[in-house]
Amino acid sequence: MFRLGVAAVWLYRVSFGALFPTTCKYHPSCSQYAVEALRAKGLFRGSALAAWRLLRCNPWSHGGFDPAPPRVGR
Amino acid sequence: MSHLIALIASNPLTPLEHVARHILNWLHFSVGLSWAWSIVALTVMVRMLLVPLTVKQIHSMQNLQRYAPQMKEIQKKYKQDKKKQNEELMKFYRENQINPAASCLPMLVQLPVFLGLYYALKHFSREPAALHPGNLSFLHFIPSIADHTTSHWGGFVLLVVYVTSQMASTLFMATTVDKMQRYLFMFMPVVFVFVIAHFPAGLVLYWVTTNLWTVGQGLITRRLVPKTPAPGLEKKSSRTPPSDDSGGGGGNGAQRDPSQPKPEPQASVAPRKVRRKKQAGGRR
Repeated sequence: MFRLGVAAVWLYRVSFGALFPTTCKYHPSCSQYAVEALRAKGLFRGSALAAWRLLRCNPWSHGGFDPAPPRVGR
Repeated sequence: MSHLIALIASNPLTPLEHVARHILNWLHFSVGLSWAWSIVALTVMVRMLLVPLTVKQIHSMQNLQRYAPQMKEIQKKYKQDKKKQNEELMKFYRENQINPAASCLPMLVQLPVFLGLYYALKHFSREPAALHPGNLSFLHFIPSIADHTTSHWGGFVLLVVYVTSQMASTLFMATTVDKMQRYLFMFMPVVFVFVIAHFPAGLVLYWVTTNLWTVGQGLITRRLVPKTPAPGLEKKSSRTPPSDDSGGGGGNGAQRDPSQPKPEPQASVAPRKVRRKKQAGGRR
């Protein structure tokens, strides 16, 4: 199921992400974080984590090293 | 209700299209703008809502530019290891309390508008003209904003304007100090113009408007915000004179001497010169 989310992120990367190039203030970048979160936590929790990261990636935040939560044995 | 669910199931982006269409309808029927100018007005409205986000981003970017030499040094040092390079840059941002300019949110906020407009314009060309009475042309050189951009010579003019405006907006909003990346971002529109050529002209009009807004906003913000000397560098040089003296390699600090407070440098500059001579002659 999480592959659906990963596919959506890739679709974004090759379309809109390429058309509006930007460098993310976080490491890993938001799209990479989303992929890792989806792999680790599944579609729903992973999407929620990715959405929360996007909200945090605003001009007021300071960015920095912010890895996705590790994968728990599923 | 079931009709709405069926619509969403057929295309999950339908609600976005409906919102875009409602706003366009309001601008056309109530405000009295033509369809093309309604798109321009919609873009301006979106960009006005985003002003707090983008202005903050421009300020951060100006701040970031002041640290460009140090950041380039880090990039050079960790050229081979991109991961380490990123980590070191993040560390540098944290140490100097820099807010990196680039953030995904302002760009992503525009995504739903863009998609909504795309589907709304697609329906414009499919639905009977009676549903969207009025002129679809723009400034007499685009016959219809719902047609493919390349279906008329005016579309090519619009594409040229798009490429130019996109390059100019990248110049103002490029949030990276890496020259190669900046060039890459600058020439992206030349590559993507072939994709964009298949979009409805109205969508390109949206893009051109948003780019021009970015350029205008960049120009105004740069004029309004006075260029102050790098606060980080000032802080650093005032904090680190002892290490400069002992290391003898504080090239950047020495270059910034004129901006430092007057009484202290006079005392510290003279001994530095003496020490350099000593080092050249023989190390203690």
